[in-house]
Parts: sequence; structure tokens; C-alpha cells
Amino acid sequence: MNKLVLLVIKFYQKYLTILSFGSCRYYPTCSSYAKVQFEHNNFFKAFLLSTLRILRCNPLFDGGFDYVKTNCPSKNKINLEFKKIKVKYWLVPVNTNQCLILKHNTKWDK
Amino acid sequence: MSINTNNMNKEKTQKKILIATALSFAFFIAYDFLYLQPKQAAVNEINKQTAIQQTATQATQNSAPATINKAATTQNSAPATNTVVTTDIISTIETKNNIIKIDNLGRISQVTLKEVQYVDSDNKQIHLFEQNQLRPLEVRFANATINNEAFKVNVVASMDKIDAINSVQKLTLTQNLTNTTLTKVLTFYPDGHYDLEVSSTNKEEFFITPGFRPNVLADMYADHGALLALNDGTLNIIEDEDMEKSAELIGVNVASAFDRYYATVLYNYDVSMAVSVMKDINDSPNMFIQAKDNIKLHGYMGPKNYKSLVALDERLSSVIEYGWFTFIAKPMFTMLQYIHDYVGNWGWTIVITTILIKLILFPLSHKGMVSMNRLKDLAPKIKAIQEKYSNDKQKASMHMMELYKKEGANPMGGCLPIILQIPVFFAIYRVLLNAIELKGSEWIFWITDLAEMDPYFILPILMGATMFLQQKITPNTMTDPMQQKMFQFLPVVFTFFFLWFPAGLTLYWFINNLFTIAQQYYVNHIFSNAKVQRHEKHVEEKTHNKK
Repeated sequence: MNKLVLLVIKFYQKYLTILSFGSCRYYPTCSSYAKVQFEHNNFFKAFLLSTLRILRCNPLFDGGFDYVKTNCPSKNKINLEFKKIKVKYWLVPVNTNQCLILKHNTKWDK
Repeated sequence: MSINTNNMNKEKTQKKILIATALSFAFFIAYDFLYLQPKQAAVNEINKQTAIQQTATQATQNSAPATINKAATTQNSAPATNTVVTTDIISTIETKNNIIKIDNLGRISQVTLKEVQYVDSDNKQIHLFEQNQLRPLEVRFANATINNEAFKVNVVASMDKIDAINSVQKLTLTQNLTNTTLTKVLTFYPDGHYDLEVSSTNKEEFFITPGFRPNVLADMYADHGALLALNDGTLNIIEDEDMEKSAELIGVNVASAFDRYYATVLYNYDVSMAVSVMKDINDSPNMFIQAKDNIKLHGYMGPKNYKSLVALDERLSSVIEYGWFTFIAKPMFTMLQYIHDYVGNWGWTIVITTILIKLILFPLSHKGMVSMNRLKDLAPKIKAIQEKYSNDKQKASMHMMELYKKEGANPMGGCLPIILQIPVFFAIYRVLLNAIELKGSEWIFWITDLAEMDPYFILPILMGATMFLQQKITPNTMTDPMQQKMFQFLPVVFTFFFLWFPAGLTLYWFINNLFTIAQQYYVNHIFSNAKVQRHEKHVEEKTHNKK
């Protein structure tokens, strides 16, 4: 289910964004927010939060920074051996078990 | 290095433009295929159908559908589905709105619509039914022998000419068979609908049908087939050429066979019906209502006109169906109809509706425009950010967001206003396609049918021009020349899209643009005034200080 939604988002981002070009009041944009949501949370939570995000994305709300939150990964999933890995997201803890998801910027690798 | 990435980015954008163009072309090719061609195909279909039906008659399968409670497995060969010739008409009923002809097997052979707006492209009055299709009020007996006989014995009508233009009239059709007598009592009303009471003697079970759908306009663009409204409030729609196997439904209040604008309906809201839906040779639905040995029904054959249907029964509006978007198209139609009652012209109705929608969204768009204007003051800072992070879009937009936060102004309109447009747009589109009321409705000058495309392409071009103008006077954050070019390209793409769209839809978009421009112009004006005032005040203060 999530994969299907992700495909739709991918299609939208690739071909349809020119229609709503640069209109999002948030960072990350609604579509990338939804993408991260569906990649990390279960379908219903992701669907609800993405819908709410789109509803908030209008001039009556301030907009600004709004990252996806998820449960932090358990300790054994952390790369303690410091192997070389390809970074896609950074999980930044905001409290004991909640993490913000920030997208990794490939430009930072250089 | 940075030049390289820049070039790569540009290549990417160029690729995107190409894809966008290809997509738009693909779109209107698909549109042509789905919309324009079926129109022609519909004309051809008539001939084809006749041919198919002839083979069907050779196979002759006029059996009664299997009973819902008791399986009556009958495989009868009854001849006569397509032997209807005019000499077989045994009764003609004229009401205020239609002329109904009854054939020698007690079926409704043809319905001709009398009202002036229901004419075909040759200005001839519309006949609802196709030759060689299942006729309304055809009866099939569960008993095979009786059924066979029933297709051979002529029906006797109590009157051969009935004038129901001003008064309610009764017609009795009697068919005397060896083991039973079938009696149909039809009551015709001046508005063209009828009540029906059918009974058989000796408890012979039979089925009666609302007939095969009218075939005036059945294309791939709007649904056509059978619609059954159940007493639990659900709708069951079976599209033509889409049936896998026959179905049996109970608790049916309405059985309607419909094309885009017309329907033949049998309904009863007091006693629910049991209906067998059988697939014909084209996998299209044929409905048979189980009557046991007698049944009382109401019938309507004609345009799916909201007011005439609701006049018969409030609940009959469910017969008008707009596809997926019914949930939003229906309220849209109600609103349009309400405004039309005051205005009297569908074109102006659309104009007023557009203005109303704009007014409802005004607080949203106004706030957006105001903060958009503040953006102009921030322009140098934005430009600095964009130059600094020219090869890192992600970082650039992050810093931009920070800037907006610091300045307390977010110039973006947001995703919601754009997404809100989509359902409104589709609702108007579906209403234009499906509502018979808007068929052949004119606006001004050259627009003679809002449900068809603009024959001179004036509205789409005006639409494109206003869209271009709107972009021109709206401040934006784009500094990348490639992006800007792509953005400017959009009105052209949209004009192409709209060339073949119903004129009413283009009218909506055009008026929408026009008012956005007016609003934007007004906001811009206020801002430049405020700026001048600020400047004057500033100058005044300076001179004051000097003193």
C-alpha cells in the first residue's frame, strides 16, 4: 500500500510539480513530506499526517519548517561498527524516543 | 565544477520541459481518442448493432431469467424480438411531453420526445430506443411453454389512440394465452410518466423489463448501462459491455437503463423489487423484474432532467449519475440549478458561480497575495540566497524558509488552494458532460452549446491570454531563467488542453483567471500606494528633522 502511494508521489514529483510550482509554504514541501511519511510510518498514520499537512498548507497558517517525526530506531540498528554506509536520512532525536527525519544532502558528501 | 552541475541542472530542466510537452500532447491525443472518435463510433454502432442482433435472433434465447427463489431453468426459443414494424403498433399515446407507441406484443416500441430542446443534429425529434433492442414492458414467463406462446399471440389494446395531453388516461392491454391471461393496465400522465399494473391469471409467474437503455448518446465519455437503486441507499451501476456474469439483486427500488442523457426507469419505493440482471450478447445488462403473478410499478422514459425526475419522486434524482465525482458534482449541480432559476442562462450561471467560488476563497487568496507582495521588498535578500546556493537547491529553499520566518512573511500560496481547484474543476466538468439541462445551452454570441467545445477556439485563447497576464503581474520567487521559461510555457500548454474541452469549462477557467488578475491588480495597487505614502512620510520626516 505504502509502495503504491510512493509511486504516485514519485510520478507527481517528476511530472506534475510544474503545475503547482514553488507554492509550498513549508520545508520540506508537501510532496516530499508525504514521501518521507510513507517511507517511515504506517499507512494510516502517514495518510492522516500528510493530509493534515496539505490542509495546513494555505495562507491562514504560517508555514515554515515541518519535518516528519518517527520512533527512533532501536540501539542495535545503529551503525556502531562505523562501516561505510550510504546516508539517505538523518534521524535527529527530539526527545527520548522520537526522532525528526532530515533528508541527507548529497552535496554534503563532497 | 559548479559550471558543470549548472549545465547538468539545465539539461535536467530541459528534459522536464520536453516531458511536459510530450505529456500534454499525449493528453489531447487520448482526449481525441476517448471523446471525439467515440462520437463517430456511436453513429457506426447503429449499423453494427443491427448486424449483431440479427445473429442473435438466429440463436434465439428469449428465455425468462432464472427465478431468484425458484430456479426455473428454461431455454426457450421465442422468435420475435426484432420483427417490429410500424403496422404492428396497436396503440399510440400522446402526452404533453412525449409520444409513446405500443406494439402487438404489448411492449413499448418507441418513445418520441416532443419538447423543442430534444432534437438531434438534423433537427429531428429524438426517438429514445434503437430497433432490435429489448423493449420496455416486455414480459417473460417462467414457464417455457407459456413464454413461447406469449411471443406468438397478439395483444389486444383497449384503445388505439389516446390523448393524455391534458388529462390522465388509462390503457388496458390484454393477452389471452391457453393457460393464462396477462393484463397490463397502464395509466398515462400528461407529464409523460406512467403507472403500471400487470397481472396474470392461474398464478403464472413472469418477469417484466424496463427495456434496454435509450441509444441517443452513448459514448465512452460518460457511463451508460443499468443503474439499480437499493432500499439501503446504495447504487449499483452495471456498465455496458462490462458484465461478467448475470446477477440477481433484491431490495431494488429503482431499475434504470440509461445513456448519457436519457433513461428508461421502472420504480417502486413502497415495495422493493427483485431484479435479475442478465448479460446480453454484448455483455451489456438486461434487467428483468420479478413480478410473481402481479406487480405494481411506476415508469418513466425520457431525459434525465433533474426537475422532471424530482417532480415524480424526490428520491429519483439518484438516477442522475456523474461517475466518480458524483459526491461533489451533485452539490455543484444543485448550486448551478439554483442560480439558473434566477439568471435563466447557463453561461451567466457559470460566470456567477465562478465569482461565488472566488469570493469564498477570497480570504485565502487575499492573504496570500498580500504576503506575496511583501516579497518584492525582500527580493535583494532572496537573490543573494539564490546566488549563494545556486547549485544546492535544498539548501537554498531551507535558507529561504528561514528568511520568511525572520520577516514574518510567507509569500507562497500553499498547496491547499491549488488542490482545492481540482475537485471544483472536475465537478463542473462532469456536470457539463452529464446534465441534460446544460446540453445545447447557450451563452452569448458564438457559444451555442456550453457542453461542446468552442467552435472558433476563442474562449481557450482568451483563457491562455489571461493566464499569461496573470503570471505577468504575479510576483514570484523564480530567478532561474530556465524555470521561468518553463513557467511561461504553461499558458501555452493549457491553451492546448482547453481547445477541445467543453466551452463551459473553459469559460469557468477564463473568468477565474480574470478575477485573479483583478484581485492581484488591486493588491498591487494598494501596495504601491502604501509605498508612495511611506516614501512621502519618510521625505517629510527628513525635511522636518532638517529644520
